[in-house]
Parts: sequence; C-alpha cells; structure tokens
Amino acid sequence: MSEISPTTEIVVCLKWVFQVNEPSDARFAGMSPADHAALELALQCAEHIGGEVTAVTVGPLAADTVLREALACGVAHAVRIDAPTATDSADVATMIASTADKASWIWCGDYSTDNGSGSVPSFLAADLQARQALGVINVSFEGEGVSATRRIDGGRREVLDVRAPAVISVEGATARLRRASLAALRTAATAAIDVVTPATPIRTTQHTVHTYRPRARALAAPSASDALDRVRALTMSGATATAQHDVETLAPADAAARIVDALRDWGYL
Amino acid sequence: MIAVVVVRDGLLPAGGAETVAECAGRAVLIGSQASIAAVALHGIAVELTLVERDSFQPASFAGDLAAILADESIVVLPASPDGRDLAPRLAAGLQRPLHAGATAVNADRVDLVRNGGRDLHRVVPADRFVATLQPGARGVIVEQLLPAPATRNVVSPATQLVDAVVTAVLPPDPATVDLAEAARIVGGGAGLDGPERMQQLAEIGLKLGASVGATRVVTDRGWAAHERQIGTTGVVVSPHLYMAFGIAGAVQHTSGLGDPAHIVSVNTDPHCPMMQLADLAIVSDANETIDALQALLA
Amino acid sequence: MTDVDVIVVGGGPAGSCAAIVAARAGLSVVLLERGPFPGSKNMYGGVVYPRILDELIPNWWEEAPIQRWVTRRSTMLLTETQALTVDFRTEAWGKAPYNGATAYRPDFDHWLAGHAEAAGAQLLTSTTVTGLLRDANGAVVGVTTDRPDGDLRARVVIACDGVNSFLAKEAGLYEHTDAKHFTLGVKETLALPKEVIDERFGVRGREGVDIEIIGGTGAVNGGGFVYTNLETVAVGVVLKISKLASQSMRPEQIIANLKAHPGIAPLIEGGEIKEYSAHLIPEAGLKMMPKMTTDGMLVAGDAAALCLAAGIWLEGVNFAMASGMYAGESAAEAIKVSDVSAAGLGGYQRRLSETFVLKDHRKLRRAPELVLSDRVQHLYPQMIANVVERMFRIDNPAPKPGLRRILNQERKRAGIKRRDLMRDTLDGYRSFG
Ligand SMILES: Cc1cc2nc3c(=O)[nH]c(=O)nc-3n(C[C@H](O)[C@H](O)[C@H](O)COP(=O)(O)OP(=O)(O)OC[C@H]3O[C@@H](n4cnc5c(N)ncnc54)[C@H](O)[C@@H]3O)c2cc1C
Ligand SMILES: Cc1cc2nc3c(=O)[nH]c(=O)nc-3n(C[C@H](O)[C@H](O)[C@H](O)COP(=O)(O)OP(=O)(O)OC[C@H]3O[C@@H](n4cnc5c(N)ncnc54)[C@H](O)[C@@H]3O)c2cc1C
Ligand SMILES: Nc1ncnc2c1ncn2[C@@H]1O[C@H](COP(=O)(O)O)[C@@H](O)[C@H]1O
Repeated sequence: MSEISPTTEIVVCLKWVFQVNEPSDARFAGMSPADHAALELALQCAEHIGGEVTAVTVGPLAADTVLREALACGVAHAVRIDAPTATDSADVATMIASTADKASWIWCGDYSTDNGSGSVPSFLAADLQARQALGVINVSFEGEGVSATRRIDGGRREVLDVRAPAVISVEGATARLRRASLAALRTAATAAIDVVTPATPIRTTQHTVHTYRPRARALAAPSASDALDRVRALTMSGATATAQHDVETLAPADAAARIVDALRDWGYL
Repeated sequence: MIAVVVVRDGLLPAGGAETVAECAGRAVLIGSQASIAAVALHGIAVELTLVERDSFQPASFAGDLAAILADESIVVLPASPDGRDLAPRLAAGLQRPLHAGATAVNADRVDLVRNGGRDLHRVVPADRFVATLQPGARGVIVEQLLPAPATRNVVSPATQLVDAVVTAVLPPDPATVDLAEAARIVGGGAGLDGPERMQQLAEIGLKLGASVGATRVVTDRGWAAHERQIGTTGVVVSPHLYMAFGIAGAVQHTSGLGDPAHIVSVNTDPHCPMMQLADLAIVSDANETIDALQALLA
Repeated sequence: MTDVDVIVVGGGPAGSCAAIVAARAGLSVVLLERGPFPGSKNMYGGVVYPRILDELIPNWWEEAPIQRWVTRRSTMLLTETQALTVDFRTEAWGKAPYNGATAYRPDFDHWLAGHAEAAGAQLLTSTTVTGLLRDANGAVVGVTTDRPDGDLRARVVIACDGVNSFLAKEAGLYEHTDAKHFTLGVKETLALPKEVIDERFGVRGREGVDIEIIGGTGAVNGGGFVYTNLETVAVGVVLKISKLASQSMRPEQIIANLKAHPGIAPLIEGGEIKEYSAHLIPEAGLKMMPKMTTDGMLVAGDAAALCLAAGIWLEGVNFAMASGMYAGESAAEAIKVSDVSAAGLGGYQRRLSETFVLKDHRKLRRAPELVLSDRVQHLYPQMIANVVERMFRIDNPAPKPGLRRILNQERKRAGIKRRDLMRDTLDGYRSFG
C-alpha cells in the first residue's frame, strides 16, 4: 500500500458518453456531471494532499475530447485505453487498474449515464485491493485522508474515514468543475495523450435492445393502517404498474386548468 | 438462485424483499441484527442464512460470502446503495460476470435498465453470474400462510480486508423529512428549462401543501439540493399525490415513489414511462404549464 | 506582443469562412465560439446557396451536410382566404453544381468549421468573447473572453458574432442602431415522414421546395416561408418589430394563423413540432450597415448587417460566407504588408463593393421598404388575388370581363391610388427587374 508522499498518484476515471437526449450525436457527447465532479475533486485532492492527477478513459479516438477537457482543467497526464466504451465493466476496471496500479487516490463518477451500473469503481477497488467509498455526496480533505459522506438506505447517510489507497465515486452535485483558462484550453488542444492498447481481451456482453417498459408488478399487500389507504392500496395500481388513462395533448393554459380540475375532482383542492 | 441482502440495524434495504422474492425465497442476510430483518421476510422467505456483522464493509463482506456462495450459480443483490457496492466485489471474488441494474433475473434471461431508464438490454446469461435487481421493479406478494423460513446462522470469524472506516451514520437529512413524509409532492425533471423552475414548483407546492422533489438529472445540475432527489439512490417517498413536470419516469426514480393514489405527468413525450404511470397524462410544455398553473393558483 | 495573427469571433458561416481563408494564407488563427460546437446555438434549418464555396471547397456538394436540393421555388401571395402561387421548378438545380439546398444549421455550420480546423485554425468552443482589447491609440489588438485569464491578443480581429453584433458596436462601427432596422424571424420545425413530405410537395429523393410568402402575416407586416428538409418541414414568418409591438400580437399567434391558412395547412397537417426558435434579422440593408473596418478589426456577416432580407429573398448565409472570405483575404493582405490600420484593411470594403455582396444590396436597396410597405402587405395581395379570381371565375351568362377593366375596378375597390401603384411598380421593377 503506497504511503502518501508529494509524488502521490491521483487518477480520475472519465467516461465519454452520449447524452441520453442525443443518443447518436457525437457532437453532444462528453463527460457526465458525475465525472465532472470527480475531475474537480481529483484536482482538489492534488491541491490538498499533493501529487499529480492522471485522467484515464477507456474509449475510442473520439473519447480524447474528455481527456482534453481534463487537461485544460489542469490534470498532468492523460491516458486513453483504446477499447469500446461498451466494454464490460469488470474489464474496463481491469484495464484502468493496469495503468493505475500505483495510484493512491482514484476518483470516479458514481455511475455512467449510459451503462449506469455504478460497478466500475467497485471492480477497481477489488482489483487494486483498495478501500472504496461509493455514491458519495460530500467530500472534505482532512490531513492525509478524506472524509466522505455517502447515501445509504432510507435517506440516511454514512460518514467514512477514507485512507489511501482508495476509490471514491461521487455524484454530480458533489463539486462544480472549475473553468479552464484560455491558455490552458489552447495548450490542451494539442497536448500529448498516451494511447494504450489493452493487454486483456475486450469483452462486451451480447444483448438485444428494447425500449424500457415497466415490468408487470406484483402488488404489495396493504401495509397502510387507515381503512381508506387500505382500500386504495388494494384498488390502485402502484407507481410502477401502468395506469389506464388516455394521454391528453393540451396547450399550457388548458393543461394548467385541466390539472386544477383533476385536483378538485380528487379532493386535493 | 439466492439473494444476498445487506442489513443495517435489522432493517432491510429498498428492494430487499423483492430480491428475496425474485430468488423464490432463498437468501443470505448479512449485517447488523440480521435476525430482526429475517422476521420482516416472513411470508416471502423460505430458506435464510444469517451472517451477523456490525458495520458494512464491502471488501470484508465479499470475503466472508465467497465461501458461503461458492456453490450457488446465480447470486442476486438489490441495487440499493449497499447492494450496488457489494455486488462487484462479490462478482470479482467469485470470478463471475455481473449484470447490474436488472428489472428481471432468471437462469436464461436478464433484463437490464440502461441509458437513463430509456432502454432495456436483454442478456442471455452464462450459467453462473451475479446480478443486482432494481428496487421497485417487480413488487412482492406477502403470503401470510407461508411457514416461517428455515434459518441457519453462520458464525465464522469476519474476514479482515482493507475497508474504509465508518465514523458516523447520520439520520435522514432534516431537510428531507418533509419530503419523505409528504402526502403530496411536486417533482421537477430535466424537462425544466432552468433552476428558477424549481423555485416556481416550490411556490406551487406551497399552494397545494406539497413538498418539492427532483430527479437525479436535476440534482446533478445543482438546480435542487441532493437531498431533494427522489429514487433508489435518493429519498424514498410515499405520497398520495405526485405531480411530475418534465420527468421521464426512469425506474430508478419511480422506484422511490411508493404507490401514489394519483399521478399527474406533464411531458412533451407521450410515450415515456412517467406518462404511462400517470392518472392524468398531459402532453404539453412543462415550463409554460408551470407558469400557467402558478397564475391559476395565485 | 500578440498570441496569434487573427482572432475570428463566431463560428457561424461568416466566421468559419474567414478562418478558412486566413489559415490557408498561412496565418495563425483562433476561432472563438460561445456554443458547445459551431452551429449548436444557431437556428435550425434554412435554405443555403453555397455557390460562393466553389473556390473554397471544390465539389462542396459531395460532402456538405444538406437536407434537400431546392428544385422547386414558389412565391405565394396570401390573403385571408386566397392563395396565388408562382411556381418554378427545374431539374438542373437537382444536379451538380446545384443551386440552393435546405440544411440544418447545426450540421452545416459544424461542417464548415471542420474545414477551418482542417486548414489549421484553432477552434475554441464554449468560450464567449466579452469585449475588445485596445492599444493606446484605440486600435483593436485583441479580445477578452469569459474564461480565467481569458485575454487573447492578435494583429487582426474579425467580428462574425452575428446580428446586433456587440463587438461592432463596441468598436463604434455603428453610428446608430434602430429597432426598425430589424425584423424578427420566428420558425417552427415540424416532423413528418419523408414519403408524406415528398407526396405533399410533389418531390422525389433529395429534391426539395422553398416557398416564400408575401402576406399571410395578418395585421403585422412581414413575410413567411416554408422549407422542406428530409423529414421535417420548416414554417416561419419574418415580422416587422414595430408593428408587432403596435399590434401587440405574439409571433406564436401569427405562425399559428399562417399554419392554419388553407394554402398552407394541408402541407403540414399532422406535423409534430420539433423546434421553435426566434432570432433577429438585420433587415434594412444599406441603410443600417456599419463601417466595415477600423484599426485592427473587420466585421462580416450579420454582424455587418449584410443579410439580404428583401421579401421574396431571405439570404444571409451566402452573404455571410462571402463577406467572411473577403475579410479573411483582406486581413491576410494587411498582415503581409504589416499595416493593419483601417487603411491597410481597406481591401475588404473594396472586395465587398466589387462583388454581389454590396452590388445586390445596392440593387435591392428599395426592396425591404417596398416589400414591407402597407400597400404591398395589405392592399396589393387582395387586389391581385381578386383580379386572378375574377379572371378564372365563370360568371355566365355574363361574358368574360377584360383584364384592364378588372384591374381598374379592383384597384379602386382596394383603395389604391393609380399614382402609388405606378411608383411601386417602378420601384419593384428597379429592384427585382
Ligand atoms: C445507479 C443509478 C441510480 C440512479 N438513481 C436515481 C435516483 O435516485 N433518482 C432519479 O431521479 N434518477 C436516478 N438515476 C437516473 C435515472 O436513470 C434517470 O437518468 C433520471 O431519473 C432521469 O431524470 P429526468 O426524467 O429528469 O431526465 P430525462 O431522462 O432527461 O427526461 C427528461 C424528460 O423531460 C421531457 N421533456 C423535455 N422537454 C420538456 C418540456 N419542455 N416539457 C415537458 N417535458 C419535457 C422529456 O420528454 C423526458 O421525458 C439513477 C441512475 C442510475 C444508473
Ligand atoms: C428565421 C430565420 C430564417 C433564416 N433563413 C435563412 C435562409 O433560409 N437562408 C439564408 O441564407 N439565411 C437565412 N437567415 C439568415 C441567416 O441565418 C444569417 O444571415 C446567417 O446565419 C449569418 O451568419 P453569420 O455567420 O454572420 O452569423 P451567425 O450565423 O448568427 O453566427 C454567429 C456565431 O457567433 C457566435 N457568437 C455570437 N456572439 C459571440 C460571442 N460574444 N463570443 C463567441 N461567439 C459568439 C454565435 O454563437 C454564432 O455561432 C435566416 C435567419 C432567420 C432568423
Ligand atoms: N469506459 C470508461 N472509461 C473511464 N472511466 C469509466 C469508464 N466506464 C466507467 N468509468 C468510471 O466509472 C464510473 C461509473 O461508471 P459505471 O460503472 O459504468 O456506471 C464512471 O462515472 C467513470 O468514472
């Protein structure tokens, strides 16, 4: 386990993703908000604990854009592992681990907007035998360590004392990415990017794609106490079942009026 | 198939019961006061293995479980925060593929939610794998007549691997209590065109006695505090009335919604899940509708 | 002490062409765009006439991201209930070297900027220029941006920041700008299946239609247009802002009315709105044009009010591209002889004057006013439509009346003085003839 030193290695994992609303338009592709936050915290980590930040992405040539953005924001090195972004998460982690094996701190987004397994950070921690703090919503740097608050069930939160080596994955709102200076932006545009061809074979799970439709859902038994609720629970379909109502297309004004009427009918107004 | 459910202080996580049901009642409960959690599974569980541990330690838990699960071909965890953290560790330890964020899991088919809840990826799995099940995706039926599950305690010394140290567990953020307990909620999604829309929703909420919630995309943008996020990784709520403005209705969001009696959805896309769930589904611009609604209620 | 030879502000057609030319002349060029990519902020769809690109990008038609080639151009005269259409179509425009094409601006601008980068210009996006840097004598020597230490110094700044250019204003190139010099362009993009569009507009494959409309904007003076893209139809209106205010009408209403017009409705029926956008158009041509150069700076495209908006014409992209190219050439010329003063950059004004850019504007200088005049807007369409209606109406047993008589009657009925009609006809002839 590497001890903290001025030469601490800090790695940030950045994924090049298409925007959900522009699923096939590379012009809109880039980092997710979570990765933006991870990048900012990696840079802050270097400022507090010392060391240099390396940005790593597993993706095609086009993914260089996220690395250039990272370089413009102040990371020291950029590495692209040349494999499809659709590579299985376990393998993505292995590939990153092979370049980040000396890293003390590894920052990730808590999940990627396309794949969204949230599993790469945890695989990384397993590969590197590092500690993990995932789904973090608040970070403070304390001496050589990090205090991280993560969401747990039922709206509760857990505060972790994290020591290196560790993988920390953060939500998008945890930090706002700094704005690159004009000079940095210009040098980043032509800065060198190390391209690594993965040692491990590239696997991508075969699958067929369908539009998501809620699964027919077993209705939870009425847990509610008061009689009314019980009746409702028994008669109403749950949030993930489909309600049998037709869709109305209305102008905003009419829509608002329609809503108010409905609220009256239902007795909320 | 066997479920692995992380328990804290005898409480099951979101989707815990569903995961046990998906695995036909077979489960390992690991964590603090597992035996109490076991009681909550009466009517669902058939065969339980309890592993008593104090604080959640993903690396060490994975070590503990490796032996117990060695002969299990399919292992399913709820895609709750702890499940999400433990699953890859387990998959790595057992050297099996992980299928994360499933809505349905069985030996010859796994359905995975992808692209922010828009797509469903159907996978034909290998014969041994680990999966996480999306809370709220399947629901559970409690069979009152089911006999108490056969229960076995595993008392093995805890594996000691490097894990972060838990220094505190905080109760739900006071700021979310109104949300968690609200009977009426107005929710804002990425369909909104600016942060001030959330403010407008708050004012509309005031008129309706409703709290304000948001989707992950909105909290990520910083338009609402993270504790306003409704869903699997956010606050789990159970309002009677939910009004969704510009919300697609991704399962990770709706799974935190409970079973509202009435759902209103305003969205430009008539086909998105939220519109299917809605009792009143209106195709219209959410932002202008918010303006109009605010005027009406003023 | 300069960072680069040329800074081009704005990644629209003008900016990209300026950057291409300057970079190819061997200068170091930075192209600054405020959007996440060139075109991202620009209006969706329109008709472009890229002929001017022939020298810049030979066989551009083989690679340009266009939607349809305009092989059919109609001019429509609308009254409340009537529509008179003059329809022209030609095979020729559907073949190389082509004439006009419909294109999505985000695609077209992005493509053009790609050529600027290929030529060696450095494109910096998500970067907004916030002001000008000047030396002691007030000459422009660079720009300030919204980025940390965001000053950038150059020998020449080419302002291509679009309509209502704040850079041209800050440089003091506009004496006065006046609301009445602008019209408001409002456009809806409606999704329809390709087959439906082909069938309704009577086109095939990549053939497309460009309909320019006079009248049809009700009490607010203006004009309209309908363009076919591959799987969308763009419907828009161009409105006189002063009238908009005085009539206190919302542009949305006016578009809605146009869409409901019996002459238009069948074309777009069932189309699902994909985009709604509004944008200013510099309308007054020569009347409003700024000084094109000052020490260290040039203005091109809409920033220089070079958009030709004269009723049945709405051409800005080609004027932007041409002026951008000439600005690039002139900047290179000036830098070569290291005189970037207004005088040294004078080649620009000359190029504009010698080419269609200003020639067309001169020729059509009366057109905007004429086309937006109350007579043309509200009286002539009714008169002409009535005349035509009576020409083709069969009033048996009454015999067919002669055209001159109908004309006269309808002119009187519309309350148009013969003198005005003559003058407008002459103006029209001078402009369009
Ligand atoms: C592991 C994991 C955990 C997650 N946890 C959560 C969670 O706890 N909570 C949560 O909310 N999400 C969560 N997500 C994210 C979730 O998958 C979705 O991405 C998110 O819920 C989508 O939010 P949205 O509907 O606001 O945005 P989008 O999916 O972008 O949908 C926007 C909607 O607005 C509509 N729209 C657009 N413009 C307008 C307009 N002008 N008027 C009206 N409607 C309009 C669109 O049609 C669309 O339906 C999680 C994802 C993963 C992978
Ligand atoms: C409704 C409508 C329909 C039209 N239809 C047609 C048509 O069919 N055919 C046609 O030829 N023309 C048409 N036009 C006119 C045409 O759009 C313009 O004339 C043309 O876009 C001018 O190009 P430009 O490069 O000068 O400016 P723009 O295309 O406006 O480009 C300006 C660029 O500068 C950027 N920018 C602005 N300020 C800054 C700053 N401070 N810092 C950095 N970047 C900045 C903008 O983001 C933009 O990318 C239409 C216009 C409208 C409004
Ligand atoms: N292809 C990739 N390249 C770099 N980082 C990645 C990649 N995939 C996932 N990550 C990191 O892992 C986080 C979670 O992604 P996921 O496990 O796919 O939900 C992302 O936010 C990134 O920080």
